[in-house]
Amino acid sequence: MRILVVSEDPDFFRSSSWIAQQIGGEILGIHPSESRYVDKLFIPTLEGAWELPLSEFAYTLKPDVVIAGGTKRDRTFAFSLAGKLKASVASDVMEAKFEGQSLLVKRPVYSGVGIATLRLKLPAVITVQKNTMEPNLLKGEVEKVILPSSSVVLKERKPAQQSVSLDKAKIIVSVGRGMGSKENVKYAEELAKLLNGAVGGSRPVTAEMGWLPEDRQIGLSGNKVRPQLYIALGISGQPQHIAGIRDSKIIVAVNKDKNAPIAENCDYLVVGDAIEFCKVMIGRLSK
Amino acid sequence: MSVVACFKVVPDDTSVRVIGGKVETNVPVKISTYDKNAIEEAVRLKEKLGWKAIGVTVGNTDRKSIRDALSMGLDEVVAISTGYLDVAGTAMALAETVRGISPKLVLMAETTTDSSTSALPPYLAQLLGYPLISYARSLTIHDSTITAERSVGDVEVVEAPLPAVVSVTGEINTPRTPSVKQIMESAKKPVKQVNFSSQPLAELVEVQPFVTSRKKVIIEKPMAEAVDQLINYLKGEGVL
Repeated sequence: MRILVVSEDPDFFRSSSWIAQQIGGEILGIHPSESRYVDKLFIPTLEGAWELPLSEFAYTLKPDVVIAGGTKRDRTFAFSLAGKLKASVASDVMEAKFEGQSLLVKRPVYSGVGIATLRLKLPAVITVQKNTMEPNLLKGEVEKVILPSSSVVLKERKPAQQSVSLDKAKIIVSVGRGMGSKENVKYAEELAKLLNGAVGGSRPVTAEMGWLPEDRQIGLSGNKVRPQLYIALGISGQPQHIAGIRDSKIIVAVNKDKNAPIAENCDYLVVGDAIEFCKVMIGRLSK
Repeated sequence: MSVVACFKVVPDDTSVRVIGGKVETNVPVKISTYDKNAIEEAVRLKEKLGWKAIGVTVGNTDRKSIRDALSMGLDEVVAISTGYLDVAGTAMALAETVRGISPKLVLMAETTTDSSTSALPPYLAQLLGYPLISYARSLTIHDSTITAERSVGDVEVVEAPLPAVVSVTGEINTPRTPSVKQIMESAKKPVKQVNFSSQPLAELVEVQPFVTSRKKVIIEKPMAEAVDQLINYLKGEGVL
């Protein structure tokens, strides 16, 4: 069996490689920098809109199983390849094992309320969640790859302007409608600064009302985060938001309504006004 | 000239919960959240460019949800009835119908709220042989090309020839609430019924509840005391 591991991101490449090694077989990899998690590594230059050209190259490797990372570009690549291979698919996979002639995978569904088990016929293309496992070191023989050109042309790239990346933050202070106004977001920012954390927001305040830049959106559409501490200020806790914070270690919510859905999905609920909470908390932490 | 908006009727994710150790999905249905953004964008193109806006839905062909889509301004809907379909099957069903329409653009959501695989737009684009722009947060149509801003962590401005498949994010627009008149008129709009079946490549074995046990401690007291108590808890957890 030939397994192909692909991600633009080092953590996802490691996570995908570990799952590939658990399944076992000939393991090929595609990653922009050297790695010995695979038997043979193809190093492309990931420039321009590279996802579709990379899927054309990957198709020529004739994989039985493709295990890709979960960045938006990884997904675009992986499921384009799936379309070419006419493969079965699953995303956000937490566990995968080979059983009989098929791949058995577990993944979240219904915004994380359920875990589905799927039996995938080969060829199969999956994207995985990050894990903390360390794969074995293999041969890691290297070959550089030049990708074909694409009909989709990149005109401009504006890098994300994140002071502390949501992906890596240990503490996240997140705001929702309950903060009342764009002006009040500064209290959350001040609190985050004292905690050395990052600021994020729910869909309404990022995508709809523009209190925060759109790249700060946390949830099913947007960033999925896994901090040690997540503080939800005035966030009611719609399923698409919960889906993005489920892997947080501790979730604190501050909400006037103790029956808001977030109450079912947090460790500590402070019943009260989010602004007042920020002011008192800032006072305590500045001491 | 036409634009196709694909949408899916799903169990309302705000109602899906675990009841008696089972994930209860026998709840009211609705159009999947971001699919409404795809419909809205198709209707805006119709209003701006005079294109015909056609909705295509696969799976559950709930009449009320289809009426909702038509009320938003689609001209007609093709409703493809199927049994259980996986992503590959859904893509095949859509490809067959979309080829018959031969549109300039296929719009769909980046993800649905039920399975949230995000695989359908790229899969469909490959079956159709169209270029794909995924995660678009804004788009502009020129004569024979489309320019879009992609929200992929960074923001990328990309251009592709038409026809193309474009998946949109929730940021792209705010879906309209139809007027009473539009709701009334939607009853007269055509809905074409089609059947499709295929053997799934991905078989659903089971769905189990995902239990994350949260402590759910409620702190309800004057804010100064509440914050002190919270800080103690958080120090005890080792996160502060």
